[in-house]
Amino acid sequence: MSKMRKYLALTRAGIIEELGFRLATIVMIFGNIIYLTVIYFLWRSIFASSPTPVVNGMTFESTLIYLVLATAIFNFMEMYTVWEMGRNVQSGKIVLDLVRPMEYRSYLFWSYTGPTIMQFLTTFIPTFIIVECVTKAIPLGINLLYFIISIILAVMINYSIDFMVGTICLYSESIWGINIMKQVIVLLFSGATIPLAFFPEGLAKVASVLPFKAVYDGPLSILLMNSPEICDVLPILELQAFWAVMLYLLSVGFWKISLRQITVNGG
Amino acid sequence: MENSIVLKNITKEFKVLNRHEGLKGSIRDLFSRDYKTVTAVDNVSLEIKKGEIVGYLGPNGAGKSTTIKIMTGILKPTSGEIMVNGKTPWEDRTSNCEKIGVVFGQRSQLWWSLPLVESFKLLKDIYMIEDKNYNDMLDFYASIVDLEPLLHKPVRQMSLGQRTLSDILASFLHSPEVVFLDEPTIGLDVAMKSNIRDLIAAINEQKNTTVILTTHDMGDVDALCKRIVIIDKGKMLYDNDMEHLKKVFGSYRTLSLRIRSSQMTDDFITSLEERFSPYGISISTENNWVSLVINEDRIKVMDVLSGVQENGSIKDMKLEEISTEEVIKRIYTEGI
Amino acid sequence: MSRGLSFYLRIYVKILVQDLKSKMSYRADFIISMVGMILTNVVGFVSFKIMFSNFSSINGWSYNEMLFLYGFSLIAITPMQCMLDNNWSLRMNVYNGDFIKYCFRPINLFFYYESEVFDAKGLGQFGFGIATLVYAWNKLGLPVTFFSIIKTVIFAITASLFMMAMQNAAAATCFWIDRSFYVLDLTFRLREYAKYPVTIFNPVFRFLFTFLFPIAFIAYYPSLVILRPDKVPMLSWISPVIGVLWFYMSYRIWMRGARKYNGTGS
Repeated sequence: MSKMRKYLALTRAGIIEELGFRLATIVMIFGNIIYLTVIYFLWRSIFASSPTPVVNGMTFESTLIYLVLATAIFNFMEMYTVWEMGRNVQSGKIVLDLVRPMEYRSYLFWSYTGPTIMQFLTTFIPTFIIVECVTKAIPLGINLLYFIISIILAVMINYSIDFMVGTICLYSESIWGINIMKQVIVLLFSGATIPLAFFPEGLAKVASVLPFKAVYDGPLSILLMNSPEICDVLPILELQAFWAVMLYLLSVGFWKISLRQITVNGG
Repeated sequence: MENSIVLKNITKEFKVLNRHEGLKGSIRDLFSRDYKTVTAVDNVSLEIKKGEIVGYLGPNGAGKSTTIKIMTGILKPTSGEIMVNGKTPWEDRTSNCEKIGVVFGQRSQLWWSLPLVESFKLLKDIYMIEDKNYNDMLDFYASIVDLEPLLHKPVRQMSLGQRTLSDILASFLHSPEVVFLDEPTIGLDVAMKSNIRDLIAAINEQKNTTVILTTHDMGDVDALCKRIVIIDKGKMLYDNDMEHLKKVFGSYRTLSLRIRSSQMTDDFITSLEERFSPYGISISTENNWVSLVINEDRIKVMDVLSGVQENGSIKDMKLEEISTEEVIKRIYTEGI
Repeated sequence: MSRGLSFYLRIYVKILVQDLKSKMSYRADFIISMVGMILTNVVGFVSFKIMFSNFSSINGWSYNEMLFLYGFSLIAITPMQCMLDNNWSLRMNVYNGDFIKYCFRPINLFFYYESEVFDAKGLGQFGFGIATLVYAWNKLGLPVTFFSIIKTVIFAITASLFMMAMQNAAAATCFWIDRSFYVLDLTFRLREYAKYPVTIFNPVFRFLFTFLFPIAFIAYYPSLVILRPDKVPMLSWISPVIGVLWFYMSYRIWMRGARKYNGTGS
């Protein structure tokens, strides 16, 4: 229990720090509004140019809801872990972090929970409320509960991916290159920029075997389900759980091996 | 001799936001317009002659860096007059910068990934140094430090000592009238510190460059400065020769006594304090040693010694002149 | 002694050459960055393809015309990417106090700060942009004349001024607010939308994206001069002047921020 308190202290410190940044919050909300507006008009004109109102099984409305929420998820999930790790490696600060009385992976994760929760409250929740008020298209029922479970799994998967990519920074100084490769691949194959339904067959197949789908597409599909039965959501949650465990093990293993290599080389 | 720097009643005020503590405070700060005025430099006047090395001392947050910023022209004082090399620095930052050099102990101003010689060449262009002056300067540098191994090494691969050395060389490259050195020896080992001090002394002597040295290291002050200026809470506390400082505190001695361990009790120390505090003696202890800082104008060392002996037996003793560090500490806490 | 344009140009080229030389000695990093850049563009292109494979035209703009805008926007982004990359570090420099070290040179502070870093991988994007533009130009059957090429160059430079201006102003916000990264990041993301014709927006946002966040000037207005030569709006013709104005304003904001930073006594 005291271990939990230790972690929660990190969460609280993160929240306070987050609030301390006065204008930042306002800027962020404002920025999201602009960003979402652009998405709205872009897809509106795309659908307006189409002869049929339904394209690839999606209407303009459902596409928009999907993309808006995907953006909101992206905003609270992107914690710049790769940058942080890369910078810590370069400045040598990582040595200090490694001697802390907690596992580096957990330390980093829990110190991010404060900002993540704040971001969730300041970006996702308002976006969700606005979308719901405007469209009334998101069912408010048991799906919300499943969504919470699913989003927690998504955060874990996303963190594992980030941590794994961040570990590469132990080998190379090119943080920018490493991070951008991760980012563009995740954004494309998770369906965060274009719904997966629009993908041509070949690319859709590639996306379906990659774990990125479990970060955005999974929680979003659950959220948009109308009073789903457990058997409807179970396959998605199972897949997410599979990736969460798998990537957890992979990222921990990769980190340990890399660390050993680095300490052996005395770098 | 002509003045290099003149400050007349310089004051600098800042507006800062009142921040509140805790979760509630942070939320309040989000909308707060609650500013207060802080006086970083308070009516400071100062004249520094050409070729002087002045130690500019003070605790952290005393207003040192604000004064330096005013002298380098990147900050405009709230009131007062300032002249550096005969011009008002904030009115023309660029032309002021041509005639000054600045070094920060921990922040290299050199191009991180370039070999030192390439950084020098770029500086040559930026400061428009003539070929002859540039070559003379490099020859001069080569005569006082082992330049060759540094020149072809990228700055990022240098040790902190080498980097500081390079930064100092770079700051004197354009033959500035004034050089500001901020903590030049911070984090360096003893040998490197002494190298850096020798280097600064040598350039100062050869080029007659005025040097303003801010530091917390009394070794720097003892080795380089003939004059020191002390500032605290924005106010000038002291401005005079090191000699004068030594004279004022010249009658001070530090008497250290090792007392038999069984007698080192709190009662013993209290009795000493009661007995000697009327004479302005400060007492500190470490293990079995008792240190007494004595002003000989007020009480003779011998009297203190016999006074201590009445209550305890002395196993060993040392008598030292007061250190510069101790002097500065006394000025911070008590004034002169 | 005065420091004019030729002085700054000479210094910039010298720093650039030295910088490139030293980058070559860290080849692995350079290659990874380059691959990252190329991948970004490939993914960008794939997304573009996916989106428009389902539709033959958008808002009266054909696929190839959209491609033209896309290539044009990549070219317009390049100068910002290459020359103002140090703006990304501005926030860190201000936050940890390192910024002060740039303030003591007898040359323009903005120039000195930005000249420190040249991001060579931006040239990869430039190549991608040129290739896309040439392809679209060819497909659209646009005439290749001396005049049309001159026009393209002038308007590409104009467009790049807008992008640089926005990035400067966004980066400079770090002098006033603590978590300015979001502002810079937002601006950087907005550039993604510069490649779409501004006519897709409603009047309010058309106004906003023309005058407040001028992304319409990054591809749309300048491209009209080439794509729709018979219907060029006034804004396109005067965009070079507006671009210079924007850049100058952003420069003033940046410098004002730097002065303010020095005044905070940190």
